[in-house]
Amino acid sequence: MSDLSQPNMSAKSSQGDWLRGVARQYALHIALLGLIVLSAGLSPSFLSSGNLTNMLLQYAPLGIVVIGQVFVILVRGLDLSVASVMATAAVIATSFNGQNSDAIPIIGAVLAMGLCVGFVNGFLVTKRKVSPFLATLATMIVLQGLRSAYTQGAPSGNVPSFFRVLGSESLMGVPYNLIVTIVVATLFSILLAKSAFGRRVYITGGNPETARLLGMKADRTIIICYMISGSLAALAGLILSGFVGIVDNWVGRGFEIDSIVAAVVGGVALSGGRGSITGGLLGAAILVVVFNSVLQLGLPIQLQIIIKGVTIIVAAAFYARRGA
Amino acid sequence: MTFVSNTPPPAKPKLKAFVKRNGNQFIVLGLIAALLLAGSLVSDRFATSRNLMNILEQSSALALVSLGQTLAVLTGGIDLSVGSMISLASVLLSGITDGDPSMVISAVIFVLLLGAFVGLINGSAILFLKVHPLVVTLGTGAALQGATLLYTMGPAGKMPLNFDYFAYGRFLGLPVGALVAIGLFFSVALFLRYTRFGRYIYAVGDDADGAKLMGLPHNKAILLVYAFSGLMASLTAVFLVSRFGVGQPYTGANFTLTSITPVVVGGTILAGGRGGVIGTLLGVYLISLLNNVLNFMDISSHYQQIVQGLIVIVAVSVYVEKKRKL
Repeated sequence: MSDLSQPNMSAKSSQGDWLRGVARQYALHIALLGLIVLSAGLSPSFLSSGNLTNMLLQYAPLGIVVIGQVFVILVRGLDLSVASVMATAAVIATSFNGQNSDAIPIIGAVLAMGLCVGFVNGFLVTKRKVSPFLATLATMIVLQGLRSAYTQGAPSGNVPSFFRVLGSESLMGVPYNLIVTIVVATLFSILLAKSAFGRRVYITGGNPETARLLGMKADRTIIICYMISGSLAALAGLILSGFVGIVDNWVGRGFEIDSIVAAVVGGVALSGGRGSITGGLLGAAILVVVFNSVLQLGLPIQLQIIIKGVTIIVAAAFYARRGA
Repeated sequence: MTFVSNTPPPAKPKLKAFVKRNGNQFIVLGLIAALLLAGSLVSDRFATSRNLMNILEQSSALALVSLGQTLAVLTGGIDLSVGSMISLASVLLSGITDGDPSMVISAVIFVLLLGAFVGLINGSAILFLKVHPLVVTLGTGAALQGATLLYTMGPAGKMPLNFDYFAYGRFLGLPVGALVAIGLFFSVALFLRYTRFGRYIYAVGDDADGAKLMGLPHNKAILLVYAFSGLMASLTAVFLVSRFGVGQPYTGANFTLTSITPVVVGGTILAGGRGGVIGTLLGVYLISLLNNVLNFMDISSHYQQIVQGLIVIVAVSVYVEKKRKL
């Protein structure tokens, strides 16, 4: 069962297939490296320290959201509410006095909100058998309404400077928010690859019937996955609000699509049960590099959106072929 | 089965079957009646023909786009590219026409064909790349939005003055747009119910593998459905351009997700194979009426949004319960 966590690996590798096996397993790493080399070759400013720091800063919130999205997609779900959770987290962060002493209550309130939203999503999906798309779409709409009703259109107030530092400053060239992302990624990778819960996630997503026959509480596993996604989205919202500095009702807009695209590019199968956090994080990195090169090359920014669209179809088609 | 042909089927079970088959529609109709009652209690300006015509007029865009969406959902798919398709078709329509009355007809035909063509691309990608409709249309939607913004970043061109007939004109006292929408809904309803191909669409949505094994034209059905959805998105764009007088690059942005709400409220389930377009039409009017009543109650649009989300949750929970019992 241990190879469940590394679905990219082709286990039966005779001597001749070894190279191909390596190429398969590290296809994403190779693609990312190739992209970086290509971008650096095409535009010299790509590898400047300013641009690198910038990319890493942008990478962190997306990376955190993708981790949650991976959990949900592994159990055959989809979380469209992440962007709305992020914006709500940012609005909560500005509702206090803007003092650093509020940091702890803010983090508490924001995580509680994310967990609640995740629970509602999971509850609708498992207990009411609502399709994940609709369940998370509905919570997204409700959250949007609650948020704009609460702020009456435009939020006011400041994010405590603690979050500003966390979201936009670096320690010896390494952004603080990237450190948070790495810690989160490590913890959840261990959870997914090594714990009994992680195995339940793969079995529930891979074959719900097996999970049921094994006496697993599939519903509980699925609900926990949505709660992980909700709380990580909330955390990412806090970090992003510290990055952009100003808060409006739409902090995180587009992250629901980007996180799904990143997961798909990273080889997480929408049909569930296959994929890893590393894959999702690599997918996110590929997206950030591609978007950044579009800017560095001076191409029209609209191309970013077109490339995003083409990327998700090509990636999904690639994995569909390989899976078959 | 020939032996029953002599005796006409008793009337009562037929009625019962009819009620059972259309149960969802009756629920929505009941809710619409309740809203009409509530509206007239809230304000004496509600039950005026002026207000009701307004509701019909405003709901036409949502009706047109969700008609195409319903068919995609019936086959077990979804079309998330409709919003961007609407935006692209709007800017192209008014950009190409640019105030020249002689260009109007060819521009309209061009965007309608373009919509159908994009739909064919969606369908082909779903079939031949074997990628889930959600992913495909998400991708084409992003590509179309990018293309729209490459074409123009702001309102493009303008339309001749009398082009607003589609949105504001009246035929026999009724809004033209609404008449077109209602006509299309009933045509598609008849097509789905009484043609062989219409039944195939249900069969494909109910059990795609089974439909393939039976030799039903599975691929043709998928292609047709997405082409129709793209065509309807373009027609929605024509209506919106007629209404606003100009095409804007974000006109359609909200329609992608709002087009799904009436489909679900009308009893078509996302898994496919069950539901119908008349339910969607009722869903459109239910939502438009609700927003109108909330407006009369002076409830801000923020809360209207919350209500709409809650409706989706309630609707999907109720219908799923029904399917499990069957």
